[in-house]
Amino acid sequence: MGLDYQLVLWNKHKKTYDKIIVLSMLLYIILFAVVTLVFNSETSIETLIIRAFGTLAIIMLHIILVIGPLCRLNSRFLPILYNRRHLGVSMFIAALIHGGFSIFQFHALGDVNPIYSIFTSNMDYGSLINFPFQVLGFLALLILFVMASTSHDFFLANLSAKVWKRLHMMVYFAYTLIIAHVFLGAFQQETSPFTIGVLILGFIVIASLHITTAFKERKIDRAKNEEKEGWLKVCNISEIDEDRAKIFTVDNERVAIFKYDRKLSAIHNVCKHQGGPLGEGKIIDGCITCPWHGYQYLPSNGQSPPPFTEKVSTYELKLEGTTVYINPKAFDEGTEVTPCKY
Amino acid sequence: MKKNEEFYVSYIEDSIGKHTKRALKRFAISSIVVIAASALVFSFSQKPFNNSTFELTSATKITGTFHENPYPMLRVEVAKKTFKNILLLGFGKSSANPFLDKLQNEVPDLNGKTLSIEGNLIYYNGKTLIQITDDEKVTLVNTKKVKGPEKETVSKMTLQGEIIDPKCYFGVMKPGKGKIHRSCAVRCISGGIPPVLATTDNNNISEYYLLTDLKGHRISDAILPFIGKPSEIKGIVEKMEDWYVMRINPQEIKVISETSNIY
Repeated sequence: MGLDYQLVLWNKHKKTYDKIIVLSMLLYIILFAVVTLVFNSETSIETLIIRAFGTLAIIMLHIILVIGPLCRLNSRFLPILYNRRHLGVSMFIAALIHGGFSIFQFHALGDVNPIYSIFTSNMDYGSLINFPFQVLGFLALLILFVMASTSHDFFLANLSAKVWKRLHMMVYFAYTLIIAHVFLGAFQQETSPFTIGVLILGFIVIASLHITTAFKERKIDRAKNEEKEGWLKVCNISEIDEDRAKIFTVDNERVAIFKYDRKLSAIHNVCKHQGGPLGEGKIIDGCITCPWHGYQYLPSNGQSPPPFTEKVSTYELKLEGTTVYINPKAFDEGTEVTPCKY
Repeated sequence: MKKNEEFYVSYIEDSIGKHTKRALKRFAISSIVVIAASALVFSFSQKPFNNSTFELTSATKITGTFHENPYPMLRVEVAKKTFKNILLLGFGKSSANPFLDKLQNEVPDLNGKTLSIEGNLIYYNGKTLIQITDDEKVTLVNTKKVKGPEKETVSKMTLQGEIIDPKCYFGVMKPGKGKIHRSCAVRCISGGIPPVLATTDNNNISEYYLLTDLKGHRISDAILPFIGKPSEIKGIVEKMEDWYVMRINPQEIKVISETSNIY
């Protein structure tokens, strides 16, 4: 958490994370270049750059896309999510080098503006085989640019977590465009079953992880709670671990019920910072701590401790024996609710 | 979700537990293996590039007889009574003509005159082209008119191949053909670079035909939709020393569904 905006709030883990990103990117480029220059030495340097950075960007995009569902399935991977933005920006840089060189190589120094040329040099929009695949790559690059340029807490706070999240969910649209760009472009000419196989395998991995995660989350959302005089029966107190929470869906909203210091408190499950699942967080120093970036909230009122100003909705709980009940009507964000003692 | 007692918070020193550390290490190693394996797969899977050459960083001076029939060329004597017609090209995706305008303003008809041109050579498979980047490097050596190459009619032919832009195909880009390169070839031909039909026979021998309209004039815009696609083209083929010229009606070009055999 930070009060002011800095370009990067560096810490030891971020530095290690970024070193691994840079070294992996270098490894890819060096390997690609050495193999090409040794075994296919008639290449041109421009083609080498375009292909090396284009394929690197695609592989990085696959890694980025598996991080989300992997963390939903196993919270031990959460530290990878924590710095995913740096991976995203690095991937955009690789894609930009690919796109920039391609636009210059194929469209610049001609009789029309290069950007106009991207859209008009091949007008076979009605044909699948002859489709102007470069348009797809260009649109994907624009999306990645918007995402990379807003990958900062400044934009997150100013656009609101909801808008920011929607904007960044466009990565799936960009992925679709990129896959179509490659299959309708490079793969029409470079027809190796190995490269085509790599992307098909990548798609299968990404799709399976997302589907598995969706099924898991659907279970939470579809669970039916017994109603009793306006209160919903949610669980037995023993089902919640100490200093941890259990997530339930009430009135189509996910709610996290925390157990700590012989008390229970319920707050809205979505962190105000980046939409992280607070119910997968932990009570640290008396505060609910988001598992994604460590944003904190007081369990009794859903407010971030001063001087921070984030607030989430709170809920009223009651205990009957060891059974926990929740009032599905949310209080306004930051409303004080007396914790339920047991 | 798997039960995880450990809880990482970025701003808390040493909050990464040993199981989390192990998971992260596994993820990092797997990612690096994927990255390295992908680099090998993508680099080894590239089709071989041809040995065409573009001398981007070195300039060569050539002297010969200029003729524009219909595309500007310089006829250079490479051995006694053996001539090579070097196709003249402009910088980027443009024709050589803007670089000849200055001299043409001084000497209205350059056809048959001896010129000296300094530029970047492009060559592959017996064909040579030169890129002119500066009109100051085009100079008149002799005003005496010399006879240019004769065209001899070979026959009416129907050929299958791909219309390419010769600048990229013969050396500037690799690959300078096919779908990946189509947009660039369209820009080049639209910019005045002569269109060439590249064909390859069953014995893998390639031949190249400069395309003109039926009257032997330049063509450009009319053939843009067919560039970079396997096509069948009918026309009258003429031989002009080391080049073939094919007179065609662009409306008769047929795009064929077969895979181009030039790559």
